[in-house]
Formats: sequence, structure tokens, C-alpha cells
Amino acid sequence: MREKINQRVSVVTVFSAKQRAAAPYLISWQNKDYQVGKIGYHHTVRQGETLHHIYELVDKDNTMSFRLNFDTSNLHWTLEAVSDGNSY
Amino acid sequence: MAIPINKTPPTIMHIDLNSCFAIIEQQANPLIRNKPVAVAAYDTPGGMVLAASYEAKALGIKLGVNVRQARELCKGVIVLMPDPAKYRDAHRRFRRVLGNYTSDVTPKSIDEFVIDFNGSPAIRQGRALTDIGYEIKDEIKKSLGEYVTVNVGIATNRCLAKLAANLHKPDGMDVIDAANLRETLATIELTDLPGINVRYEARLNTAGIYTPLQFLAANGDHLKKRVFKSKVGMDWHYRLRGWEVDNVIWGRKSYGHQYALSNKTTDRQKLSQLLMKLCEKTGRRLRGSGHTASGIRLWLSFTNHQYWAKGKDTKNQMYSTQDIYLQAQKLLNQVVMPDNVTNMSVTVYKLVPGYPEQLGLFDSLPAGQAGTRIDTKALARAADEINDKYGEFTVMPAIMANMDNVILDRIAWGNVKDLY
Repeated sequence: MREKINQRVSVVTVFSAKQRAAAPYLISWQNKDYQVGKIGYHHTVRQGETLHHIYELVDKDNTMSFRLNFDTSNLHWTLEAVSDGNSY
Repeated sequence: MAIPINKTPPTIMHIDLNSCFAIIEQQANPLIRNKPVAVAAYDTPGGMVLAASYEAKALGIKLGVNVRQARELCKGVIVLMPDPAKYRDAHRRFRRVLGNYTSDVTPKSIDEFVIDFNGSPAIRQGRALTDIGYEIKDEIKKSLGEYVTVNVGIATNRCLAKLAANLHKPDGMDVIDAANLRETLATIELTDLPGINVRYEARLNTAGIYTPLQFLAANGDHLKKRVFKSKVGMDWHYRLRGWEVDNVIWGRKSYGHQYALSNKTTDRQKLSQLLMKLCEKTGRRLRGSGHTASGIRLWLSFTNHQYWAKGKDTKNQMYSTQDIYLQAQKLLNQVVMPDNVTNMSVTVYKLVPGYPEQLGLFDSLPAGQAGTRIDTKALARAADEINDKYGEFTVMPAIMANMDNVILDRIAWGNVKDLY
């Protein structure tokens, strides 16, 4: 199953000075908290002048994957899609 | 004079990402690793598979198969649409890793590079290219992700290095040099040679050449004068012996876009809308490169497998989207459609650096009035500035209204000059 969501979500982000990187740590969606496990890929894309950070990751239990979009113009997070890794 | 086999140590490395789009998707989503994955142009039954994971390839799912056929081969195949921004990012990371070893890095496509180590610091330090190859594999995993693997081929020229990279997939490392050249050629078919397609194979067959070893043994003059009837024959004679004939950089000669219609049609109004979008995308790239063009070509293919193509030189330099669309629409008006259109492409060529200053004979209205070439140029630049700031198609020609995302962002086959 893979589903497009495109909803604003609450995300806790952690910045590590040691690793010199910021990354999502926890996602709140549909009244449930998902702790981030592995970040599979992080890249940036521009829409006009606005830079977006796209994170594709799985939760710590390896049950669900998330595609998150961080809009640097307003610092909002959008959950673009979720999947359970099975046939779509 | 007989041309000998090149016995110098190999310095050319060809590297390509295994099943690029599919492996990047499996890297991004750990839940689909070790599963059959197909990246298709569209995730509808008729969508064509562009890349398949090794698990999918093992089941017969490959480039050219459509989604319906893929699901028949494997009911549980995971079908994804492409994510070009992610693949372009992966390409740039790949490029940065290779740039740490030498500046002589040439991208051949979105997922393959050629590196010439001749005179590089690594060679001067006496390092073996295979060691460097394994180190590059590790660095690519650190940069792109632990699931990403590449094939490495090393040889004395680009052709044999690419052949070496194709010998063992995935995650291969192979060297072709004077010592194992014949032994390697004995294990492959003619069409395994990069650049030999079925048409060239047929031409070689008519000359009595059926194997790469026979190809290697053939006389250079015979290949030039009788088989290929051009210098291509002599190029192959040198190439197979490990001499370099392919280190030529071709300049940009055209800009174009092609679209495979999801809803095949003969409706001329819909085709005109699509044509405008193709012209807008082409025009943006043309203007972004600082060129004008005075040649245009329109190509259409139909459901009955026929095609129509026509190119023409334009009297005036084309610059704005309207310039390109006007010429393209004139060509479209000449098309007699035998069936529904399946694919459409627009290409502009005869590129000239600079901006159109020479006014056409009939552009006689004072500057600043609507319809003059000066006005059109300023309008095109203004629209481009708005689209640069707020996103593609923020400002677009009225005919494109309500088209939404009909023509999607895609990665072109072949060169990726526009990424740099």
C-alpha cells in the first residue's frame, strides 16, 4: 500500500552539532507518534526560489515509511505519502 | 599496416549505477529493499517500465515492459512513478565523489560516468585502479546510501571500459587489458559490444562476421570500405584493439522535449495544448542557455506504429515560446493523422548564442507595442523571471490553462548537460 497524504504534520527535529546535521526525530500523525528509525534518503528541491527538504524514512519499528517535505519559506512540515512496503 | 593490440596499462574507468532509478527508490524506502520494484513512466496498466530492481529483472520485468505485463510476471511487483529531483540529486552526489579522484570526469547519462585517470594524482602515486575502484564503491555508499551499488569497468579505452562494467552485474569490478582481451571477447555476443545494435550486427553478419573475435580479426580497410562504408569501420578496428577513438565532447546542438500521451487522441485542440507545453519547456531551456534557434522539428507517432516527422529552417531566430509555438503549430497543421497520436516531440536546432536583435521584415510596429519582436523578447524574459522565482508554469500561455501536470518532469535518456 502506498498512499498520498499531503497533510501538514507535527515533527520533532533534532540538530546534532557533532554530526552537523538536522533530521526529523518524531512524527505525529493521526493521533499516533512515530519515532524515526532510518532515514533512507534526504535531498533538496527548489520550487521557484523556495528550497524544500525531502526526507524519506521508516519508523523505528520498520512498519511504515514516510515521505516528508520541509518548506524552508515557512518552516512547515508536510507528510506527502506513506507506505507499508507492499505492492501498490 | 597491422594495428597492434594496445598494451599500455588501463587508465579509463567506466562506472554506472545498477538499475539506477529502482535502486535509489529502494535506498530511500528500506521497506521495499530485496523486493521486485519497477519504476514506470506512469503507474497505469499501459505505463512503460523505465527501470527494474534486480529482484524484478530476475522475473523478466525490464525496460520496455508495461505495467500490465509486469503485474502478469509478478503479481506483487511494487510499481512507482519516477522522482526525477531525487535521481538528479543522486547524480550530483555521484559526480562529487568521483571528482575527489580527478577532474577528468565525464557524465555519459544520469547514472554513468567515464573517468580518465591518465596523469591523475592516483596514477602518479602508483595506486592500482582496482583499489581506487573499490574505494569509490565505498565512498558512493557513504554518500548515496548503503544499499547503492555500482559496476566498475577498467580498460585502455571508453568502449572496452563500458564493456568491462557490463560483464558482472550487480556490484561488479572487471578489467579488460591486452592480456585478457581475446578471452573476454570469446565470452560475449556482437550486440554486447557498446554501440553494436541489431542493425550493425546484421551488417557484420552479411560480411561473414558473427562473433566479436571475428570482428577483432577483420581487416580495418575491409571494415571501413566494405562493411560500414565509412570511417566508423576503422574506428571499430582501433576500438577493439584498445585504442581510444571516443574521447570527443560534442557541443549542444538542439533542445527538445518529447511526451508520451497518456490519453491517445486525434483531437487537434488537445494536441495544440500539449504542443504549447512542449514549446514552453523547450523555450525555457533555450533561453536559459542564452541561445536562439532557427530550425524546428516536429515528430509524432501513432497507434498504428506509423510516424510523421518534419523539420524546417525558420526565417527569423526563435527565442520566445510564442516564436517556437507558431512554427510548431504550422507543422502540426500539415499532419494528416492515420490514427491516434501516441507520442509527440518538438526540437529546436541551429542554435546561435545571444538574443534576437535582427527584426523580421514585417516586424515594423514601434518598439513597445504588442506583437513586436522586442516586446516578445521582453515578455519571455519577464515570464521566465516569474517562473524562476515562484515555480514552473506560474505564468503560462492561456492555451495551457487547466492542463495541471499533464506533461510531467522526466529524466532524459543520454547526456545530462543541463544538470551542470
